[in-house]
Amino acid sequence: MAQNADNVLDHFDLFRGPEYKEMLENKKKNFENAVPADEVERVREWTKTEEYREKNFAREALTVNPAKACQPLGAVFAAVGFESTLPFVHGSQGCVAYYRSHFSRHFKEPSSCVSSSMTEDAAVFGGLNNMIDGLANSYNMYKPKMISVSTTCMAEVIGDDLNAFIKTAKEKGSVPQEYDVPFAHTPAFVGSHITGYDNVMKGIFEHFWDGKAGTAPKLERQPNETINFIGGFDGYTVGNLREVKRIFSLMNVDYTILGDNSDVWDTPSDGEFRMYDGGTTLEEAANAVHAKATISMQEFCTEKTLPYIQGKGQEVVAFNHPIGVAATDKFLMEISRITGKPIPEELAKERGRLVDAMADSSAHIHGKKFAIYGDPDLTLGLAGFLMELGAEPVHVLSTNGGKTWEKRCNELFASSPFGANCHAYAGRDLWHMRSLLFTEPVDFLIGNTYGKYLDRDTGTPLIRIGFPIFDRHHHHRYPVWGYQGGLNVLVWILDKIFDEIDNNSNVPSKSDYSFDIIR
Amino acid sequence: MSLATAEKLEDIKARNKALISEVLEVYPEKTAKRRAKHIGTYEEGKPDCGVKSNIKSIPGVMTIRGCAYAGSKGVVWGPIKDMIHISHGPVGCGQYSWAARRNYYIGTTGIDTFVTMQFTSDFQEKDIVFGGDKKLAKIMDEIQDLFPLNKGITVQSECPIGLIGDDIEAVSKQKSKEYGGKTIVPVRCEGFRGVSQSLGHHIANDAVRDWVFDKSAGKPVPFESSPYDVAIIGDYNIGGDAWSSRILLEEMGLRVIAQWSGDGTIAELEATPKAKLNVLHCYRSMNYISRHMEEKYGIPWVEYNFFGPSKIAESLRRIASHFDDKIKEGAERVIAKYQALMAATIAKYRPRLEGKKVMLFVGGLRPRHVIGAYEDLGMEVVGTGYEFGHNDDYQRTTHYVKDGTLIYDDVTGYEFEKFVEKIQPDLVGSGIKEKYVFQKMGVPFRQMHSWDYSGPYHGYDGFAIFARDMDMAINAPVWKLAKTPWN
Amino acid sequence: MSSLRQIAFYGKGGIGKSTTSQNTLAALAQMGKKILIVGCDPKADSTRLILHAKAQDTILSLAAEAGSVEDLEIDDVMKIGFEDIRCVESGGPEPGVGCAGRGVITSINFLEENGAYEGVDYVSYDVLGDVVCGGFAMPIRENKAQEIYIVMSGEMMAMYAANNISKGILKYANSGGVRLGGLVCNERQTDKELELAESLAKKLGTQLIYFVPRDNIVQHAELRRMTVVEYAPDSKQAEHYRTLARKVDANIGKGIIPTPITMDELEDLLMEHGIMKAVDESQVGKTAAELASGAAA
Repeated sequence: MAQNADNVLDHFDLFRGPEYKEMLENKKKNFENAVPADEVERVREWTKTEEYREKNFAREALTVNPAKACQPLGAVFAAVGFESTLPFVHGSQGCVAYYRSHFSRHFKEPSSCVSSSMTEDAAVFGGLNNMIDGLANSYNMYKPKMISVSTTCMAEVIGDDLNAFIKTAKEKGSVPQEYDVPFAHTPAFVGSHITGYDNVMKGIFEHFWDGKAGTAPKLERQPNETINFIGGFDGYTVGNLREVKRIFSLMNVDYTILGDNSDVWDTPSDGEFRMYDGGTTLEEAANAVHAKATISMQEFCTEKTLPYIQGKGQEVVAFNHPIGVAATDKFLMEISRITGKPIPEELAKERGRLVDAMADSSAHIHGKKFAIYGDPDLTLGLAGFLMELGAEPVHVLSTNGGKTWEKRCNELFASSPFGANCHAYAGRDLWHMRSLLFTEPVDFLIGNTYGKYLDRDTGTPLIRIGFPIFDRHHHHRYPVWGYQGGLNVLVWILDKIFDEIDNNSNVPSKSDYSFDIIR
Repeated sequence: MSLATAEKLEDIKARNKALISEVLEVYPEKTAKRRAKHIGTYEEGKPDCGVKSNIKSIPGVMTIRGCAYAGSKGVVWGPIKDMIHISHGPVGCGQYSWAARRNYYIGTTGIDTFVTMQFTSDFQEKDIVFGGDKKLAKIMDEIQDLFPLNKGITVQSECPIGLIGDDIEAVSKQKSKEYGGKTIVPVRCEGFRGVSQSLGHHIANDAVRDWVFDKSAGKPVPFESSPYDVAIIGDYNIGGDAWSSRILLEEMGLRVIAQWSGDGTIAELEATPKAKLNVLHCYRSMNYISRHMEEKYGIPWVEYNFFGPSKIAESLRRIASHFDDKIKEGAERVIAKYQALMAATIAKYRPRLEGKKVMLFVGGLRPRHVIGAYEDLGMEVVGTGYEFGHNDDYQRTTHYVKDGTLIYDDVTGYEFEKFVEKIQPDLVGSGIKEKYVFQKMGVPFRQMHSWDYSGPYHGYDGFAIFARDMDMAINAPVWKLAKTPWN
Repeated sequence: MSSLRQIAFYGKGGIGKSTTSQNTLAALAQMGKKILIVGCDPKADSTRLILHAKAQDTILSLAAEAGSVEDLEIDDVMKIGFEDIRCVESGGPEPGVGCAGRGVITSINFLEENGAYEGVDYVSYDVLGDVVCGGFAMPIRENKAQEIYIVMSGEMMAMYAANNISKGILKYANSGGVRLGGLVCNERQTDKELELAESLAKKLGTQLIYFVPRDNIVQHAELRRMTVVEYAPDSKQAEHYRTLARKVDANIGKGIIPTPITMDELEDLLMEHGIMKAVDESQVGKTAAELASGAAA
């Protein structure tokens, strides 16, 4: 017996003890009908081959370990960016349990969201009653200022009509007539979480700007000098939005962050649970129509929203999750051009500090090969920064990336000598990535938590940048945007590189001559 | 906050009553009427806890429940390690449940085992409109091609499958035939079925019956039977729970021929009808298949509880009572072997936890099963409830709870928050969705689904970890920092 | 866009809905109207007579080939037929698989997002049978069809269907703007057909827009995959369709919220007109053998 009250062993050590090892070996030998070890080894080796890669890439129907989620997740992400807004998901309730868990595991925060709990009878008769009761309950219990309705695939397959349902619910008195209930259809079988984000953002603006589903006059745009800023679906939303606000304040820009979930996903522990915190006020959301321009930090998160806003007469500008010096330069210069405000010396100094840091460390990154996967915009932002550091983003993969994304990647690769041997993989998953890492190895992998399986299988060290990050804490509180953000990304990459060097040079009398104290 | 002893029972009951009516006030009338039936106070001597259960959740209230798919893929089938479980439908369900439940297993993932992988048919609009059967067939071919060592496939249906009327049974049969009789199991666990995870468990149990047992009947098992063969049913090996349970059964002289389903294999499922006794941990999720095996194969089953030394000893003796003296002696030997560890654990932690009050809200069996473990540490459970329990769970709960315990079935976010706010327990044990709500409120919390990434909690080895973790949660210095010192 | 008129033809399968709608729309086109037909029937035969061929490239079949509907261009799916009528077929799965209703939602969203409605005077949706699920109700949601024309006949099932469709319209009429434009009776030469159609229209609170008499020339035209309006413009039947077209055109804004009736009321109506015999309650639930033995006794 290894267990000890003074030194409690949990799963890390307990099962490595001889009695457990023996027990598990016996289980395998006697009862599991296990595949012989040499056969497992043979197949394992085979999965590393070119032949396997070819078969793997010939897959047409099966998806294995995708790096994307479904629309409704993005819908919830967008909705909580508005002041005291409760996301209301029309459809099966299990979905909502999943979104809430998913966000809580990433942000280490509560995630409030309700479901209309549709069951078998609603599948047959439609979910109107669920909407009527659900809105009434949510409104009374959680006192939101706005309820943002989106759908699950169940409601979409049976064809529930949100517009009509919400109107009927209002007529039945579930919520007051003038109460704000924007909505968006977000079928899980179209696009991904970034599509859901886009649909809900657009739905909310349509609600406020286009006459609240026929219950109020449409807003007449009276252009002013403010700019709108949309962050997109972003695992670093807490750190990033705060950084963007700081930058805008430094530049003296009159701005509105549309969908500001930086507070609701970073509430303090002070004895009070804040179901709602911060967020774009409803007034700001409505007034955003008058802005001079709207900046989207993520083109592929706003594919429908931006053209809609443009249609209102605003200038719109989209970036691809800008990370690093040149991308941040471009971002700031666009802000400066649109607002006419100069970029202050303070930011120029920050820029200089990032360049300084890159100069100090670039020798350790230059020439290194990277594989990246994640959402379309993030992968573009990271690839750009890596090339700026003299590294090669050899494999860039996005499960929810499409043809336009692929084109953007190829343009980016073509813009730098470090992009010469780089390739974009649209619509592929992490099992494809596994083949890539075996057949065309790289030095480091950048991706979300699920990349740890690739790290384990292929020995490619994982640098965790993306969404979700479940197994490292608090990185979402740090920005990756702005020069400060670039510095954070640089440090995360460097930390991993140095750890790897140390781990590979620490065997006494074999490799520890490289175990340098100064690097 | 250990005022419990000082509090009079009548006061507690009166407080609960007032609290319940206060909470119900927030609801529209119709909802208040419905919710009222799910909240109550346990009265000693009653056959159940006096609450309704296993009824549809109310729209818009923020239920904590999941769905049938979660019950089947996430709980029952997902941990079977050498089969590939296809999340059939849109990408989300499989994504959110991907490796999230800590069902530990030994194997080479991606080669001979597949638990922590996400296989999905990633339904697109065209699959909804034209049906997904052809895609499913192709997926199975691709699985055979790329994962040749898989021992079987299950199809875990997501909502659209049932709505568009796909015939996954036909595809499964056809492909099984093509692959020479391979086990392929279609599971109709669409998320809109039933009222919670619970129906998913049942559907998954039935799928084992129909597509594993019936098919493998007469197939020889790879071992000689012994009079001491048992199967562990309803342990999902979260953080290694089934392992720290199995070791005790083996130490007492039994032979565990199958684990359901944590670290389990299809071979173990198939061999289970050879067991002399099924030992059932999670009654809620696997009583169905246990009853079936009793009826069909005459295998008796016995419920056990491996949380905390009191219940472990009781359970070991109950299991042993189904066997001869050799096993009965074995049980006593095991209890004696761990006596010192238990005494040391309690001596160390009980003084730090004595009198602390706990509120629980969990799934399956834990709302009652862990109460004994808390009591072994001198703690008191003052409120508990089930996410997806049935009346038989609440009946069983009466053996655990004290008079005056607050009971809340399918609690809503609002209710739970208010109950905790008023009762001010020293610890809340629930899930990830609840964790941060209560921690923000300054209430120590442990996730009682995933063991908060710790564990195992089952068995004697597990109890030491349980005690350490509860102490760590309650006595963490951080809780004293929540308030600013300058106010 | 403000002058865009959106109408829809609903009716039980096999009632002659597509024939009636295409002839009517062909006549409207001849009146100088720019027309877009959106076929919402998985059989994809709502535009056959206009195009002289069954549309091969439906939105959903092309989307399935291309991967997703986002990969399609409007020109891939829009065909031009008789009198420059623009034709689109939603298409859908074969009977018994998938979800045709979802297909309708997908298709209409695609058309709207890709500007298919720009520059036309009329959009006409031709919708399968009864309102069978939320998807088939898509054309009657807010900001879609303003008026629904129900094609029916004097047969019992067609009348049931007309009543059911009215129920669907009623459901959406309160929250959205959809109205029942009227009934179009496609003569089947059943007993007292005109009278019956008028009575039903009255019960539903609407009007019988037109009674289209039966004429074999319709079949002759169909054999040539043409509307009568095109095949034999001088025929009497073509004139009937032109009259119907004028009436539909003049019916703008005259739609009503229907007052569907109960099953019992409908049965009473049929009995009143002698279409259905009064039920002898003593015979309900009795098998033929039981009735025979009862009669013998």
